[in-house]
Amino acid sequence: MTSTLTIEGLRVEVAGKEVLRGFDLVMSSGEVHAIMGPNGSGKSTLAHALAAHPGYKVLDGSVTIDGVQLLELSATERARHGLLLALQQPMEIPGVRPIDLLVAAGADPTNLRERMNDEARSVELRPEVLDRFVNLDLSGGERKRAEMVQVGILRPKFAVLDEIDSGLDVDALGAVARRLQRATTEWDCGVLAITHFRRLLLELVPTMIHVVSGGRVVATGGPELSAVLEKDGYEPFRVTNA
Amino acid sequence: MKIFAESASTFIAGRPDAASRQLAWTGFERAGLPQVSDEVWRYAPLGELDLDRFAVTAAPIAAADSDFASELCRRAGLVVRVIDGFCEVVNSEIEGVSVEIDGSSTSLSGEALSARYESDTFSLLNAALAPATTVIRIAAGTLVAKPIVVLNVTHGSSSFPRTQIDLGRGANATVVEYFEGGADALVVPLSEYQIGENAALQLITYQRLAPSAWHVARTTGFLGRDARLRQAVIGMGGHYNRSRNDAEMLGLGSENELRTTFLGSGSQVHDFRTHQMHIAGRSHSTLLSKGAVADDSRSVYTGLIEIEKGAKRTDARQTNHNLLLSPTAHADSVPNLDIRENDVMCAHASSVGPLDELQRWYIESRGVSRNEAERLMIQGFFNEMLVTLPLELAELVEADVTSVLASVRIVTP
Repeated sequence: MTSTLTIEGLRVEVAGKEVLRGFDLVMSSGEVHAIMGPNGSGKSTLAHALAAHPGYKVLDGSVTIDGVQLLELSATERARHGLLLALQQPMEIPGVRPIDLLVAAGADPTNLRERMNDEARSVELRPEVLDRFVNLDLSGGERKRAEMVQVGILRPKFAVLDEIDSGLDVDALGAVARRLQRATTEWDCGVLAITHFRRLLLELVPTMIHVVSGGRVVATGGPELSAVLEKDGYEPFRVTNA
Repeated sequence: MKIFAESASTFIAGRPDAASRQLAWTGFERAGLPQVSDEVWRYAPLGELDLDRFAVTAAPIAAADSDFASELCRRAGLVVRVIDGFCEVVNSEIEGVSVEIDGSSTSLSGEALSARYESDTFSLLNAALAPATTVIRIAAGTLVAKPIVVLNVTHGSSSFPRTQIDLGRGANATVVEYFEGGADALVVPLSEYQIGENAALQLITYQRLAPSAWHVARTTGFLGRDARLRQAVIGMGGHYNRSRNDAEMLGLGSENELRTTFLGSGSQVHDFRTHQMHIAGRSHSTLLSKGAVADDSRSVYTGLIEIEKGAKRTDARQTNHNLLLSPTAHADSVPNLDIRENDVMCAHASSVGPLDELQRWYIESRGVSRNEAERLMIQGFFNEMLVTLPLELAELVEADVTSVLASVRIVTP
């Protein structure tokens, strides 16, 4: 069954400043949507607000999965309704092992470690890294890939990836892109990828690209939009907020 | 203090070494119970302590062990049973390990107990009222494979267990001193450890007394040249849980690692005192104290690192982290350094605070409930303390901590 993620008129405040100013997006499971835009355009704010980060205050708007209003739900409930955020800077959780976190998150414990190892290998992460406490003593690139292991195990309807490409070398980036591409067919995962770089989209083919500026989507198009961005940058799309 | 004093007097009169016990008792009477005006006792609910609620137990009271104690003993290579402070005769089948019941009132330091502990009221009580000293000797060069469990159970209204562990040169052993029972009782253990040259003792002091018990314990390690003492102190039970853990690094290159852990709930008070004495050079001490306080419980950690003049190239580290699990819980941390030598490395750090909100959000955002997220984090907090336990015990202790945690109410901001 196809699921739909609908974001309408989302306005979000961070530290007293309105950063998202009426954000709209509709996507279905199995699709890949890329959100691109300059620094400060509100991309990460969108990711954090979707996952109910306590530092982000929703002022207005609506976010639904198949009609269920997520904004009224806790972070836990949003995840249980199929939304998972892979963070740009995931937190360190001392003393907690990744496997215990995944079991608590509802992963089937049968052969879990083997499946985690497989997921790790698919994104070129050494499986031994998963013996360490969650995100402790991991490099930036290892953290990104550890987040991908969680995506692969928890199989969300919609995976939101906040700059999953930063800190990854070209080879690892390709592996992550291929893993995500595979997810779109394996469990019909909807991928919402926030990215600075076109490179991620070479092997992860976007259904749609949304250019964000000033807290809103200012342009939407197919994969061809990526070539325009490559050539002209974000400048033609920049909006200034009065 | 009539009832308690009368039972003490009868008990002392009936023991073969009545004279030296009387000396300790006189010392206790002279000093009297501590007052909250004494700095080192300021956190103890001494106003609630009426010794006449207790009487000296004249003979051990038989009763079945708890399931937990049975599980623990199943993992042991040797079990030494001490009921109400009375050690049962045990014939060790481990070569090089002997268990003796010693009627003399002598410290492992060689001094009379009444002299060594003359300024410590509760230790004086132990010196006067312990039925005898349980002495575990591990001969030079003996490597003991499985843990030795000293099972201390209190059924009476008081117990004064006294244990001495003596490791000869190059010996290596793991010992668990376990305490349970003690409902409405006063439990005052006094333990000493002599670790000979190049010997290593891994010690787990596990206190799981009833929530109504008063527990005032003191342990001292005497470390010879290149000796190692790794001690984990886990305090779960007791209404008032006081644990003083000292190490005297007497030999060059000796090492002391001390990890103290507690979990407070209800109106418990956990009072941890540590004293690391670097007497010889190149001695190392690492101290990690981690505890969580829930409900209306409170804790205090007071640690002193003392480095003697001449103890060159000493390395001493002290860390104390406290987790507040309710707005009405309270934790105090008082690290102290007393350094009389320049050529040393010394560091201390401490923190007190609630669970980290962003860490919790991260866990929740994977689909974990708030409750579960908090329990994962608290278990993680204790994990650092439990990872150093021997494998056969770690699982048991971890399950125990988990089950206690399950009954604790967590209130976070």
